[in-house]
Amino acid sequence: MIVPMSKIQIIGTRAELDATVRVLHDAGVVQIEEKPAAVDALILDARAAHQRDGITALVTRLDALLALLPVVAPTQIARRDDVDVLIGQVKAALAQLDAPAQNLARRRDDLEADRVTLPRYAKTMRQLMPLSAELALMQNYETVALLVDRKFSAVIEMVRAELPALTNDEFEMVSREVDRDTTAALLVFPRAHSTAIHTLLGRESITQVRLPDELVNVPFKEALATIQARLAAIPAEAEKIQHELHALAREWRARLAAWRAVLRDRLREIEVREKFGATEYAFVAVGWMPQKNVSALRDALARAVGENVLLDELPLTAHEREHAPVVLDNPRVARPFEFLVRLMALPRYGTIDPTPIMAIFLPIFFGMILGDVAYGALVLGGVIYFLRKPKSDGMRNLLTIMLYCALWSIAFGFVYGEFFGELGEHIGLHPYFPRGEAVVPLFAFSIAFGIVQIALGFALGIYQAIKLHQRNELLDRIAKVIALIAILAMVAASSGALPKEMFTPALALLIVGTVLLMYTLGWIGLLLAPIEILGVVGNILSYLRLAAIGLSSVYLAMVANKLAGIFGNVIIGGIVAGLFHALNLALGILSPTIQSLRLHYVEFFGKFFEGGGVEFKPFRREGIG
Amino acid sequence: METGLLAIGAGLAVGLAAIGTGLAQGRIGSAGAGAIAEKPELVGTMIILLAIPETMIILGFAVAAIILLVK
Repeated sequence: MIVPMSKIQIIGTRAELDATVRVLHDAGVVQIEEKPAAVDALILDARAAHQRDGITALVTRLDALLALLPVVAPTQIARRDDVDVLIGQVKAALAQLDAPAQNLARRRDDLEADRVTLPRYAKTMRQLMPLSAELALMQNYETVALLVDRKFSAVIEMVRAELPALTNDEFEMVSREVDRDTTAALLVFPRAHSTAIHTLLGRESITQVRLPDELVNVPFKEALATIQARLAAIPAEAEKIQHELHALAREWRARLAAWRAVLRDRLREIEVREKFGATEYAFVAVGWMPQKNVSALRDALARAVGENVLLDELPLTAHEREHAPVVLDNPRVARPFEFLVRLMALPRYGTIDPTPIMAIFLPIFFGMILGDVAYGALVLGGVIYFLRKPKSDGMRNLLTIMLYCALWSIAFGFVYGEFFGELGEHIGLHPYFPRGEAVVPLFAFSIAFGIVQIALGFALGIYQAIKLHQRNELLDRIAKVIALIAILAMVAASSGALPKEMFTPALALLIVGTVLLMYTLGWIGLLLAPIEILGVVGNILSYLRLAAIGLSSVYLAMVANKLAGIFGNVIIGGIVAGLFHALNLALGILSPTIQSLRLHYVEFFGKFFEGGGVEFKPFRREGIG
Repeated sequence: METGLLAIGAGLAVGLAAIGTGLAQGRIGSAGAGAIAEKPELVGTMIILLAIPETMIILGFAVAAIILLVK
């Protein structure tokens, strides 16, 4: 359900401002809103503004430092509330840690860069090696290595043609194809002509092989050896740096994170005041909070601050009632399903939260589709295995939902008498409802589920429309219910479940429903009303998927077992059957989930659900993450 | 003869419905992937939109089953 909210106003003398903010922060149940327009904004005093800027800077530095330190197992740290002392401590720690941590991180990054680029140098140098053997290295001469894409190898000849004039014929140039795509060239010339030649190479846009500075004037063979040695040393060095970073993290990370949390809390305490209003002697704050917490907060304020602060509940305007922040509060069993409702949208304040109903129907639908003792038990085993491992909240919710689903699958498996498909009969499982044979009753059963859930949806929709005074929605839903009852009666009358004479009154009722719907929808309703009513019938027929998807899984299991029998060999047959059952199980988890979700989102929610709720974000202390 | 015609009818009911569903889901799926890439919070809505045409094949299957099973 959606928790009832109150809009509150807190008024107090300015002397009690700090104490009040602290009580609100500790309580953590109020979402502070912008001040009323009639009151001036509260201006932060110089000291608070100064503290805010200082803390913001510190938090930014802490963020940067924490991003450098690897995550280690947290240790428990006592939290301090004396912010001024803390700020001093943080500054000292940052001064001590910033340089070494950044140094380590930089060395790690350099190593990583070397690890990526050095092999590239090595490859190029290996390509150039055969050339360098032809040229002796000479003092006062410069060697330039060029790599040219083979398509442009003509450019090397152009350079060769220009060189005599530039260097007075004092040069040596050799070139050859080093692989399919590249031509390499080595050029040796006196240092005196260096500028002229580099200008020429630049003009022709030829890529020169640039080596790391320390390798520039070293013979290729030595340079290559140096590179190899360096590459070999990288892993050990990287591990050492990683080790040092871990040591630093173990010592500091938890403490730094705790400090950051305290500082952020303090920052929020300062910043929240910017939403307050103020007069010369008083301040005023407005906000939303759960109704049930109001008196507790009032008591807490009275205890900690005294009589100079008043908390009042404000009457709600229609607009406010629609836009109040939303808190979902459901029984523990149903709570994981809030996740699925949120996946669709957060319900708007004042509407119905479908979580508990989803918690009942969704696992039943899933079980009805999968309906196999063995598959259910496998899913159950998997869920229990994963539930024991650490995981995120979202994952835990999904697993809990799957747990319910697996239990219902086993239950329906007993009803259908299925154990890896029709293997159940061979091991003595007695089917109460063999769905592979009783297809038509299964269809009827699914449709019955559809009628129940759609009717429930309409009932909720009608209740909600009355509660929210939505006249059009109310008429629309009533008209559809009338039409639906009429259609069901007509079907019953023509199939003999109701006396034949009932057909005509039912038809009349259908016309009444259609006309009412036309009236609700306006002129366009002349066209839309019959379509909408057909849509409702389609919604119910859509529940056929509960039967159909399940049957396809039964047939696939049957194929698996039959195919296994064909081979006449226990081992091959077993493997084939195992593969097919694995495929069937994978499909059997995925598609019932999506199908039952869809039945809720489209068919059921469509009758009453209104999304667009605003998440409740209370002003509260941060946990140490 | 009649059994054969019934089987062909059932096959058409499932097959044609599957083609229709496939065409629709293909378009919705590609649009949905694009939309989710820009706004990941649309996942819920996209699942719904993607699942809507599935009703066609389900109904096709139901019709086929009734053709074959209801005498």
